[in-house]
Amino acid sequence: MNHLDDDAELYALGLTERERDAEIEAHLATCADCRTRVAAAEEAAASLAATLPAMPPPRTAAAPARATARRRAWWPGLASAAAVVFAATAAFEGMSAHSASSQLARTDVALNAIAGSHFGHTTLTSVPGVVAKALYARDGSWLYVVATGAPRGAHVVLRRSMHVTPKGTHVTPDAGATAHPDAAVVDVGVLESGEPATLFVRDVGRAGDIAIVPNGQAVAHAVAHGVPAY
Amino acid sequence: MALDGPGFDRAYRAHSARLRAVAYDILRDRDAAEDAVHGALMRVWSAGAYRPERGALLPFLIACVRREALDALRTSKRRHLREVRANAGDPVASDDTAAIDPVEARRVKRALDDLPAAQRDIIVRAYYGYRTLAEVAQDAGVPLGTVKSRLSAALRRLHTALSEGSP
Repeated sequence: MNHLDDDAELYALGLTERERDAEIEAHLATCADCRTRVAAAEEAAASLAATLPAMPPPRTAAAPARATARRRAWWPGLASAAAVVFAATAAFEGMSAHSASSQLARTDVALNAIAGSHFGHTTLTSVPGVVAKALYARDGSWLYVVATGAPRGAHVVLRRSMHVTPKGTHVTPDAGATAHPDAAVVDVGVLESGEPATLFVRDVGRAGDIAIVPNGQAVAHAVAHGVPAY
Repeated sequence: MALDGPGFDRAYRAHSARLRAVAYDILRDRDAAEDAVHGALMRVWSAGAYRPERGALLPFLIACVRREALDALRTSKRRHLREVRANAGDPVASDDTAAIDPVEARRVKRALDDLPAAQRDIIVRAYYGYRTLAEVAQDAGVPLGTVKSRLSAALRRLHTALSEGSP
């Protein structure tokens, strides 16, 4: 494929056709010259972004419930996960967006680990009224579960091994585990109350299955369940 | 590396404020802007789309959020709000003190002012007016190919000017 030429700048500005974008990213993966050119263009575009006013704060008066309220409720929880990524950029703090030479030098190990391919996320299959999502480190070093509508005090339970439940199918817990929780079932903690309710746990290992279970209930009564794709 | 060290909250707030500003300026709606930022971040994480050799993270994320927000704009009814704003005057003349980074905003605007008029006209229409390339061509009365080459040249010139001028 030829070099990107003018498309390098147009891409940085979001003005290329979306069908073209995949080709551009594929080319960038193999062409250092075009990566440099696009990175420079993105820095210039980021400088333009510095001229924009901040998003205004929400109106503080009790606003009427909005149709998008539940969907929006994801953000406060996910912001915590976003913070993990942004923490990796702390090295860039105080640095203007166009000192290109120093930026790569300051890129550190955390940036590689976190902003790279090491995240996964999955929406859990859930009972009506519950919406739940899991974000997880692909190496099993942490797990973040966020849920709306889950019963207060619900637990997050992982199963190391279980018969494989294809994504999107119904919960099909194995009877042995539900009746007699054994070593294969790990209770990693209680969802902290809030809307959404959240739980962040470290060093959980890779789970075969993630389930949200009402307090005192068996895994068979999980209100949400999903299989992370490590 | 500790992820919860000093500066964590500050870094998060500073960066997320930039991303939200980019999305909000395009969409003029807090919910839609939050969704665009969220959508862009999730796309980046889930696809593992970022590698350090790709360049600095924040400019990369800003570009991702901008694409996401432009897509949302082009597929939504918010379009008419933009039309109103695009005709409301010269957006670059807006108050510097309202910018997230007023000092940087003044520096960037000076660099914009120093661009050749034809380049500045195209970049203002495309960046601050959120026009598509075809719309810019039509509005400015120049061929599409000329719009592309001028925009490309303008952004490269801007980058050079800002790199030279950086402290």
